[in-house]
Amino acid sequence: MSGSAFPAGERDRMEALLPFYLNGTLSGEDLAEVEAWMESNPDAMSALAEIELEFSAIQSANESICPPADALGRFNRALDMEAGAERTGPSMLQRLWQRLTSVPPAVAWVTAAAALLIVVVQAGLENFGVGPAGTDYHVAGVAPEAANGPFALVSFKPDATLADVAALLEKEGASIEGGPQAKGFYRIAIPAGDDATYDSLTKALSASPLVAEVIPGRRPGNGS
Amino acid sequence: MPVNSGHATDRELVDRVARGDRAAVRLLFMRHHARVYRFAARQTGSESMADDIANEVFLELWRQAPKFEGRSEVGTWLLGIARFKALSHRRKRTEDVLDENYAETIADPSDTPEVVTLKEDKAAALRRMVDALPDEHRSVVDLAYYHGRSVTEIGEILDIPVATVKTRMFYARKKLGEALQKAGYERGWP
Repeated sequence: MSGSAFPAGERDRMEALLPFYLNGTLSGEDLAEVEAWMESNPDAMSALAEIELEFSAIQSANESICPPADALGRFNRALDMEAGAERTGPSMLQRLWQRLTSVPPAVAWVTAAAALLIVVVQAGLENFGVGPAGTDYHVAGVAPEAANGPFALVSFKPDATLADVAALLEKEGASIEGGPQAKGFYRIAIPAGDDATYDSLTKALSASPLVAEVIPGRRPGNGS
Repeated sequence: MPVNSGHATDRELVDRVARGDRAAVRLLFMRHHARVYRFAARQTGSESMADDIANEVFLELWRQAPKFEGRSEVGTWLLGIARFKALSHRRKRTEDVLDENYAETIADPSDTPEVVTLKEDKAAALRRMVDALPDEHRSVVDLAYYHGRSVTEIGEILDIPVATVKTRMFYARKKLGEALQKAGYERGWP
């Protein structure tokens, strides 16, 4: 039975409140009551030790449940079905990649060289401030405000879990801006204000056992 | 040049999702999916059902982001949606289906309680006893101990009054204490 009234006895109230004291969420009158009880009660440490054991058992019961590694990919597909294809469609590079992988190697090299020339010329024009007024470039899946920051393309190993990847990115202060793109690469925002920090962060990502490959993208010095 | 922040808050990301930013919903998925998935698995006893529920929770986030008023934390909101969806899935289920993987975490019922107890240490026994708690008690214990939620937040997630959260915690811990005692383990706090 679960009962409907909160127990009135001090001991019973402590049974109910101590877990919240230990998880750090108790406040107000409840917190004052527990703290007063702990100061005056010799059993307090035993009670907390018992709850720590419960914490440990419940943590382990929950963490033994492993989310599937492909969950994000399947969510992306579900999101596409829900919201329709990305407004911008495949990027120029994605279209180029698809084109290159479907033609004979010799033709592909010539096409790639021509495309590289176009990119170089375009970059030169942009650097000199030449371009259509009001152009609003938008990388697929990337927030417009994030599109000019430093980034790298990162692919993860198939056995890397979402929780591990999230923890790695949080540790390095990095975040996913977009993807997955061709070959499972994600565009990862690198929080670096200078090239040394950028190199250090991409090196740390490369060294992680979760990461399959890191391809450097825009460096801090390139976008200013 | 501006440095892209890797530390956008959940609330900021929900605001971006409300403006149709898919990268933001993916980031929230990365942050919260494991916990939502585990919560759903514990609620339903089925990992395949938890997989569907977790996906639906984040699609719901995509749909409902413009209406999110920020009265609770984003994590609390997501667990509340997961709870609602888990209840719906359980209602639809015609028979108890336990995934093989999940069932492995529960003791073999062919063993008597005494035999099971002899096989494990106190922590493992506690884990089995928590699994055996009634749903309404286990949910409160999971939310407080694993998800780190407050009394008020658990009330929001489970849609029950604060006093009921405390009462359920009291009875859950009382049952755990009795089960430990019955299994021959001393409780540190008699």
